Amino acid sequence: MSAPVITLTGVGIRFRRNRRGRRSFKDLFAARRRRIRPGEFWALRDVSFTVQRGEAIGVVGRNGQGKSTLLKLVTGVVLPDEGSVRVTEGVAPLIEITGGFVDDLTVRENVYLTAGLHGMTRRQIADRFDEIIAFAEIADFVDTPYKHLSSGMKVRIAFAVISRLEEPILLVDEVLAVGDKAFREKCYRRIEELLAGGRTLFFVSHNERDLKRFCTRGLYLDKGALVLDAPITEVLALYNSQYGIKPA
Amino acid sequence: MRGGARRAPTIDGVSSYAEVRPEQRTTFARYRHSLWLLTQRDLRVRYSTSMLGYFWSILDPLVMAGIYWFVFTQVFQRTVGNEPYIVFLLSALLPWMWFNGTVSDCTRAFLREAKLIRSTRIPRTIWVNRLVLSKGIEFVASIPVLLLFAVAAGAEVSAGAALFPLAILIQTILTAGIGLIVAPLVVFFRDLERAVKLILRFLFYASPIIYGTADLPAELQFWAGFNPLSGLFSLYRAAFFPEQLDWTLVLISAVMSVLFLVVGLVVFTRTERAVLKEI
Repeated sequence: MSAPVITLTGVGIRFRRNRRGRRSFKDLFAARRRRIRPGEFWALRDVSFTVQRGEAIGVVGRNGQGKSTLLKLVTGVVLPDEGSVRVTEGVAPLIEITGGFVDDLTVRENVYLTAGLHGMTRRQIADRFDEIIAFAEIADFVDTPYKHLSSGMKVRIAFAVISRLEEPILLVDEVLAVGDKAFREKCYRRIEELLAGGRTLFFVSHNERDLKRFCTRGLYLDKGALVLDAPITEVLALYNSQYGIKPA
Repeated sequence: MRGGARRAPTIDGVSSYAEVRPEQRTTFARYRHSLWLLTQRDLRVRYSTSMLGYFWSILDPLVMAGIYWFVFTQVFQRTVGNEPYIVFLLSALLPWMWFNGTVSDCTRAFLREAKLIRSTRIPRTIWVNRLVLSKGIEFVASIPVLLLFAVAAGAEVSAGAALFPLAILIQTILTAGIGLIVAPLVVFFRDLERAVKLILRFLFYASPIIYGTADLPAELQFWAGFNPLSGLFSLYRAAFFPEQLDWTLVLISAVMSVLFLVVGLVVFTRTERAVLKEI
């Protein structure tokens, strides 16, 4: 078996409950602490697992149990307070995908900017530019400032860019809940294609059908802990028995 | 080992991951690439939303220089600085605009870009350094204006002009260092944003911009030396006024700048984790 592409060892991250809490300089500069202060809670604690290349993993759990935080840790946009996150290959995160787009720039400029920030060179982007625009179905708006697009179009172009990044690891949060049905189906087909191309997938969803469609392995998060790491059907069965409605 | 999947036939235009992924470049090359992209974006946004983008970035220091020139040559009898006074003013005022613009923008470096920072993984120091770079480019673009005034006012360019790159280097280090301290702290202490603006206004008069360090009373000169901007501006002014150059001040300025950068890097790395959670 080859080396895992994602390794989490004893990962924990804590947040403050209220943003207005008092904060001192000493607090800010303190090295990583294992104890929590009043007003803080562990969003995730003692999470350890490894992922092999090409695996498709579904993350299951109720709202606020740390699913998105887990994805952000793997992306590297937040850092753990304890333990370590090791990701050996590039990540294409479909989290807050429209975040990187600038209102005042045109669609074209935004495509070059976002893809560039994820490490693509100008030439690579130019090669894929037409494909990206065609996928998002906004050929008529290439030189329109981003702020004038409809919200559906914004998500479409963002998905089109990130899914063309050619990164070996794909992280999908519940972003695809927006957008019309036809486009969602198109996105899902694209994800399936990527999976067939050997990508590693991390998928967060509440939709059981989607989870079963893409994923083979499941991670069940509850109260900030990794409760079960097993094939997706087992994970879903446990989740349903604890919180779900009985399958009809 | 790698294998199987890589040689799989492409399905419907989708390549397997190893084929067309972004080139694995060195960390440094990737850093430079991202930094340059964001700097370009800054400049592009600024100039695509206003027709007179470049003109505005020049106009601000020009108006200020015009006011001080009027006050100190037409209203009062000027006893400080060198002749021609407008060149004396501009040679410190233009670098000051770079310093002032970067530090005041750094107060919003994280808050304004929160969405982008939450979705990309690029090294976080870029959010400060891109401000240093884009304002620095504006500064370099404003140098022709300084030369224009020098020619019009009949100032002679001395051999000290060769020190310009050194001055730019010191200022880059100093500005980046202060930016790295200010940017993360403002995220936690929002009041700091106003405090920084106030300090900058004080610093404008506490630095040798409308005067030269030599014009200060002797007992103040010692303390003015600790202002890293004193040595810096004397270095810039050496291009037209060789007598303004004071190597002791320059040395203090260089040492202070490096110190600021070291402190900045320490503050930045220690607070990075908390900043990412807060924004």
